[in-house]
Amino acid sequence: MNGYKFDWDVVANALPSMLQGLGLTLQITVITIVLSMILAIPVAVGRMSKIEVIRWAAQGYIEIFRCTPLLVQLFWIFYALPALTGVTLPGYASAVIALTANLTAFMAETYRSGFQSVPVEQVEAGRMLQLNRFQQLRYIIVPQAMRQQLPVILSLNISLFKDTALVSTIAVSDLMFISNTISAQNYRALEIFTLAAFIYFAIAFPVSLITSAIERRMQNNAALGGASRTSIWARMMPGARVVVASR
Amino acid sequence: MSHSALTPQLPTSPARKDNEVSEQKGSTQVTAPQQTPGQFGAGQVLVEARGLQKSFGIRKILRNVDFTMNKGDITVIIGKSGSGKSTLLRALAGLTDPDEGEIVVDGHTVFAEQKRTKEWENIRSEVGMVFQTYTLWPHMNVLDNLVLAPRKTRGVGAAEGRDRAEAALAEVGMAHHILSRPTQLSGGERQRVAIARALMMKPKLLLCDEITSALDPPVAAEVLDVLRRLKEEDGIAVALVTHDMAFASKAADRVVFFHEGEIAVNATPEAAFDNCDNEDLKKFVDAVRF
Repeated sequence: MNGYKFDWDVVANALPSMLQGLGLTLQITVITIVLSMILAIPVAVGRMSKIEVIRWAAQGYIEIFRCTPLLVQLFWIFYALPALTGVTLPGYASAVIALTANLTAFMAETYRSGFQSVPVEQVEAGRMLQLNRFQQLRYIIVPQAMRQQLPVILSLNISLFKDTALVSTIAVSDLMFISNTISAQNYRALEIFTLAAFIYFAIAFPVSLITSAIERRMQNNAALGGASRTSIWARMMPGARVVVASR
Repeated sequence: MSHSALTPQLPTSPARKDNEVSEQKGSTQVTAPQQTPGQFGAGQVLVEARGLQKSFGIRKILRNVDFTMNKGDITVIIGKSGSGKSTLLRALAGLTDPDEGEIVVDGHTVFAEQKRTKEWENIRSEVGMVFQTYTLWPHMNVLDNLVLAPRKTRGVGAAEGRDRAEAALAEVGMAHHILSRPTQLSGGERQRVAIARALMMKPKLLLCDEITSALDPPVAAEVLDVLRRLKEEDGIAVALVTHDMAFASKAADRVVFFHEGEIAVNATPEAAFDNCDNEDLKKFVDAVRF
């Protein structure tokens, strides 16, 4: 340990400020997720459009945001966009816009994949029963696609939560920014960044467990269409085996 | 073994006495004179398709197909894969638009000049379809599968919807499964529920595309029996693509044999299976039977 002595008082003193930063991190995360989940639907529909212009536009948007680093996107919106438009956005707004634009691209691809996993005959059955396109989407396609893609969506959201640490680079006082600031003040990087890592982990790990549980439950249901008899905790455990319910 | 072995206890009906055999395009064409397009008795013809053509890429699937169905008839459509059977059903259902031709349903021209007419929107509720694969929506229970369309498209209330669902399920012998999930049902049960779902829209014509192909013979027989009851009790016309020759022999009013995109034989079961000298049909029946 190189003779390093932990100073737990530093942790106790920094914790309130860091929790304040966590509040902003969670706020940005939630706003971004909600906006992305809504905006991704038209982008995904556009990506599958029969009209080439719409399909290309949607695909272009997705590829631009998937194939460039999030940090570059963040900097571009915070530093470059004002030069183009003459409007300077505050760091918070820039962060939300960049993260939303980025997550929407990934989410749209996830939706598209989910939409296309719904058998075409099920949609045609809806057509035969006179459901219009919106009703087919609302009652047949989206519910099934969401269930199908829920683990992927939750994984994307966990990644987004961690990626919010990047907004500290444009002076948004999130958990990472506060941690960095405190660390620079008291030179206790080990305690502060360990605490920061623990806080991120404490939020992300339960969501990750839930994701695993949902995934296993879906596999179990797909196997026989019944509910698993294993407990929720057993299903959450990484590597837990799928127990096929008897009919 | 003669083809008559496939037709035990054939019922006799007036329509089945009116057959004649004629030569057309080098193949035997068995037709019923009273059912030639344009010569039907008023009010008897439910579906009339004329000159249907459809290609996918360079492959012609339908070649100038004329097809007719009477109200309350069961028409069994047979033929090899890719011969155009399903394409014809999909054209009648409005899921595929032919390249050429005209479709008239219950006196309304629903397809003409390469597009669906405005009348199609008014008449489409009279056409129901059940597919080969299980198309029940797995995230809903049986009741919700049945009431979704009537509630969303016709404003049927919850109580009335449930009553209608119970009645439709009773017709197919599935009333006790009203709250089951599709994943809890067997293949035959799912197809019966799919038929009940189509009945919720009160169709006059039910199109069934190989609905028994994935089922064991006894289960398939149960499903086909449901179709026969629908015809007998409710007067619903059924167009059924199937390879079940026994059902075709016993229950069909007409047998239509597709060969390479054309209707090679359109006749009563007796004429098609016993008195027809169409070699392609004979080969097909022999192949399916064994």
